[in-house]
Amino acid sequence: MAKGRELKGRIKSVENTRKITRTMEMVATSKMKRAQDRVVAARPYALALADVISSLYSPELAERFPLLRQPTAPRRVALIVLTSNRGLAGGFNANLIKAARVQIAEIEKAGTRVEVHVIGKKGIGYFKYVGRELASQRIDVTDRPTAENASEIVDALMAEYIAGELDGVYVTYAKFVSALSTPPATERILPVTPPTAKSKEGVAVGVQHDYLLYPDAEAILTELLPSYVRNAVYRALVETVAGEQSARRTAMKNATDNAGDILNVLRRTYNRARQAQITQEIAEIVGGAAALQG
Amino acid sequence: MLTVSVISPEAVLFEGQTDSVVAPAFDGQVGILTGHAPMVTLLGTGELRLGGAGKRFQVEGGFLQVVDDVVRVVTEHAKAM
Repeated sequence: MAKGRELKGRIKSVENTRKITRTMEMVATSKMKRAQDRVVAARPYALALADVISSLYSPELAERFPLLRQPTAPRRVALIVLTSNRGLAGGFNANLIKAARVQIAEIEKAGTRVEVHVIGKKGIGYFKYVGRELASQRIDVTDRPTAENASEIVDALMAEYIAGELDGVYVTYAKFVSALSTPPATERILPVTPPTAKSKEGVAVGVQHDYLLYPDAEAILTELLPSYVRNAVYRALVETVAGEQSARRTAMKNATDNAGDILNVLRRTYNRARQAQITQEIAEIVGGAAALQG
Repeated sequence: MLTVSVISPEAVLFEGQTDSVVAPAFDGQVGILTGHAPMVTLLGTGELRLGGAGKRFQVEGGFLQVVDDVVRVVTEHAKAM
């Protein structure tokens, strides 16, 4: 029963694989829930900032803030690419890298130099493979990104932007639309697009009040605009982590389902082979007995 | 009563009612009671005290906003004490 033993081995191996993918699915589900909570918890801060900035901001003030400088002919811009440190998340990293590549090509077509800053082993691996030099790379952003991580990433770039060495900063990340939809997105974080008065996510933002301002609008904005930029990066970080976990969950769910299908086929084949063998043995015995009697 | 929230980038650290707020503004302490005029002020470094609830936070930077007895303390560095 050589074929039977072979099939048994394969069934065992697929069962083991399914055990692993199912566990990974459950781990990713619980990590995703926590990451999702962090995405939600980051909203009030973003809304409060947007509210105050939009109510204090007026276009006349724009020229006084270096972070709002609109470069006419950008010479050099930075692109921050967020990817994950681990694989087995379906097309998650491939999609992010593709979005980054499209963005780089688009900026370079306009004759602008792009320096690439990559977060996450997967992105670093890709850019190393294609031989592109990276301006910076880091792999120490964990499943729980902090606001400090965001400021470490973007503070240096903001300083360069203010000094006029950079003419723009973009970030490519996974937008967390819902647990099932985390498309890659690229957002321009510098120059800052000031939030405008409108209702955002159901909350009125930028309602004009006659605020008493201490010390004055300009000083407050000088303080808050960098916070706004850091917050944009922080949000990109937490959304990317949530996106990674939800992509992994989907990938592992599919793998588990596929393993189940394969098991069904293998078990059916195995049982058929076993049955065929038993039938054959009976036929041989009956045949042998008949021969003796005859 | 004032409705107060203390908000950091990562989470809302406090949300609730108090009767007064004493915050470390950039140029000294600022006290807020009900009926305060709408205000936005930068914060410095120091202790934020939420009167009735007896809650205290160490804050650094950020701003404080008052509108219609709703106080929002929004800061990148806030730690409960």
